[in-house]
Amino acid sequence: MFNVKISLFARTRDLEHNIDSLHDKIIEMTMVFKEAVDIYLQEMRSEKYRQTSKKIKIIEHDSDTLRREIESKLYEQNLIPDLRGNILELVENLDRVINLFDEVAHKFYIERPDIPEAYHKQLRELVNQVADCAENMAIASRAFFRDLVTLRDYSKKVYLLEHQSDKTAAKLRNEVFDSDLDLARKMQINNFIEEVADIADLAEDCIDALLIFAIKREI
Amino acid sequence: MFEYLFFLSSGLFLGWSLGANDASNIFGTAVGTKMLRFTTAAIIASIFLVLGAVFSGQNTAETLNALGEVNTLPAAFTVSLSSALAVLMMLKSGISVSISQAIVGGIIGWNVYNHKPTDTETLTNICATWIFCPIISGVIAVGLYICVKKLLHHSKVHILWQDMAVRVGMILTTALGGFALGANNMANVVGVFIDSNVLSPLKLGNFYTLSSTQVLFFLGAVAACIGVFTYSQKAIKTVGKNVLSFSPTVAWIVILSQSLVLILFSSENLENFLISMNLPPLPAVPVSSTQAVIGAIVGIGLVKGGKGIKWSLILRVVSGWVATPVIAFILSFILLFFMENVFKQTIFMP
Repeated sequence: MFNVKISLFARTRDLEHNIDSLHDKIIEMTMVFKEAVDIYLQEMRSEKYRQTSKKIKIIEHDSDTLRREIESKLYEQNLIPDLRGNILELVENLDRVINLFDEVAHKFYIERPDIPEAYHKQLRELVNQVADCAENMAIASRAFFRDLVTLRDYSKKVYLLEHQSDKTAAKLRNEVFDSDLDLARKMQINNFIEEVADIADLAEDCIDALLIFAIKREI
Repeated sequence: MFEYLFFLSSGLFLGWSLGANDASNIFGTAVGTKMLRFTTAAIIASIFLVLGAVFSGQNTAETLNALGEVNTLPAAFTVSLSSALAVLMMLKSGISVSISQAIVGGIIGWNVYNHKPTDTETLTNICATWIFCPIISGVIAVGLYICVKKLLHHSKVHILWQDMAVRVGMILTTALGGFALGANNMANVVGVFIDSNVLSPLKLGNFYTLSSTQVLFFLGAVAACIGVFTYSQKAIKTVGKNVLSFSPTVAWIVILSQSLVLILFSSENLENFLISMNLPPLPAVPVSSTQAVIGAIVGIGLVKGGKGIKWSLILRVVSGWVATPVIAFILSFILLFFMENVFKQTIFMP
């Protein structure tokens, strides 16, 4: 009996650790992604970019493993029966954000877009906003498990940053299409801007769902 | 002895009804929210129900005896049977009812049939608990709800540990609820058989001897345990899921409030303490766990804005509270007539 209790405590602690680690991975991903885009804009597809891109791949792979562990532990141990479905959805959403970061970084590596220096500053600004948006989403999501007031505070920041990133992306796309670049390059750069901005949109969707779960979580 | 056991069968039937009906109040919400497995909850509740009935069940029996001292075995059989039938009828229609009310209706039926005056003071006391029990339970539930909410808000405990704490809390409360139900309600089941009891005391090794009354209460408790395992799952569907959409924490608060109310109304020590403090005492009266649960649910529902409560279902349950004693009264009256005139049994010793 005592052993059963001890292992139950240990398993709960493990799961808590896994959930925290998944959030850590998102925050880590946002930092590495910012770094990767910065390197790409300076050096294009250099060895340094390849290394950073590899780091992103590892983070994505680790978070996939964490997601699977969380999902199976939640069901195997029959934990939080009333919120289990919501938590699974949340974990899936977080994983989708991480995957999108990875996809965009990989796309830079494969497609090697040639982005004129005139747009670098704004693109960096967009990447920073998007990364901050995802980081705040991770903090809000972590707060869902412990502190609902903090969740609301950070959700507000996510909405704000998503709005800013939308504006930055729109402005940048306008400038790209107003330029003398040929249409193929315009389309390619536009496509990258859209994909980067999509990360913030996905983070916002994640927060929308999270706030609904939070209503259910209130006792 | 055989005759006694035969007549006791209706008491055991009522015991079965108690288990089938009231177990849902003890752990229905815990099982309904999938926090505890039915078997786990049923085993814990049953063990403590037996303990409560045997060691603390006799306090409330005095009140029932004051209402009407059913003093022959055939009469006790009939009163019990009519109460059990009333409960079963309500249970079949999917309404969670009160055994206390059924037995009170049955006893008054006996009083009226025998032209014996009913002790109005005791009856008033009992009827007052039917009003106060849900109110007190509601107040306790609201207090607990506000405290727990504040605690969770400030402590910032991880949701997984909250879940674990609620689970442990539910196990402990199921035990407490089982004990409280045995202590408070077992008098309803076998109380009318105390006067005519012919059971022998039972020696438990060299340490403890159960008095004949305790053996009687033990038999009632065993019958209740059978009711818990055989029929309570159906009643759980009414209370556990339908009345209000619970979070597990609220479910735990509901069963804790209910258990505390039952304890409050079974403790002679508390009654004496309140009297010594010049406060209005809470008499040791068998109250209804169903009423306590409904009181707690409505209390919390109101604090949350009253939107989640299914009033139509509450109304159905409350109508059951009126119907149960009336049905038990009528059945008791009619069955006593048959017992006396058809089966030629003595139903009253002057």
